Amino acid sequence: MSTQHHHEPGDDRPRAYGAGRALVAVYGILALAATARSAYQLLTKAAEAPLAYGLSAFAALVYVVATVALAHNGVRMRRVAWVAVAVELVGVLAVGTWSFVHPQDFPEATVWSHFGQGYGYVPLVLPFLGLAWLRRSDPARIARQ
Amino acid sequence: MLLTLVLVGALAVGLGTWAGVRAVRDTPVVGNQIPGMIAVEVGLVVQAVVVAVGLGRGASAGDPALLWGYLITELLLLPAAFAWAFVERTRWSSVVLAVASAVVVVLQVRIWQIWQGAG
Repeated sequence: MSTQHHHEPGDDRPRAYGAGRALVAVYGILALAATARSAYQLLTKAAEAPLAYGLSAFAALVYVVATVALAHNGVRMRRVAWVAVAVELVGVLAVGTWSFVHPQDFPEATVWSHFGQGYGYVPLVLPFLGLAWLRRSDPARIARQ
Repeated sequence: MLLTLVLVGALAVGLGTWAGVRAVRDTPVVGNQIPGMIAVEVGLVVQAVVVAVGLGRGASAGDPALLWGYLITELLLLPAAFAWAFVERTRWSSVVLAVASAVVVVLQVRIWQIWQGAG
């Protein structure tokens, strides 16, 4: 395969790809699921819970940005990824808590309500994995090793 | 409908387990797994046809837009994992295939719920 990344002998620094690409795949699936669901909810029943479905659409946008930024992995795009993943973490924690305090605001499951229960809690775990990956794959950090 | 769902779901479980084992063993997706992916994909196409025929005959399901959304999403997952396996020749292509297969299984359950009239 032309895209194999060969390691120099004695170079035991972690690979730049691999784990990150798998993370991009999971982000991509979630971005697709969240976008499709929020589009469907907003198009068919926006009036029922505009706030919850609006937040759902915002979450979908954040996942799309995070997916693209993580996949691009350039200097500026990595900064974008840091921000997107951080927004995601704050979002899932804030909306998750909110949906338990005021369940009537969330008549139907959205990506972030109840800490992502409807998505097997993947939305809760993913930002931690994303932050861990961004830290581990930080070029400056790898260069120091 | 239930038979198709369960058969395709079982195939996807098998494929996902195989990919999971290869991921744990630090090996990428191999050519041997291509027939497995094709089998699941063909099953999914058959399933979409079964749904279309069933709805055409007036079977009542939950929201048809939601149902088709899931059916089409399912069809896209394995081709994406297949393309991924060409680019990523590490264990992580196996992880991607395992995740894609797991999502197919989850969507099979959701499709069954919608088919029975749930939202």
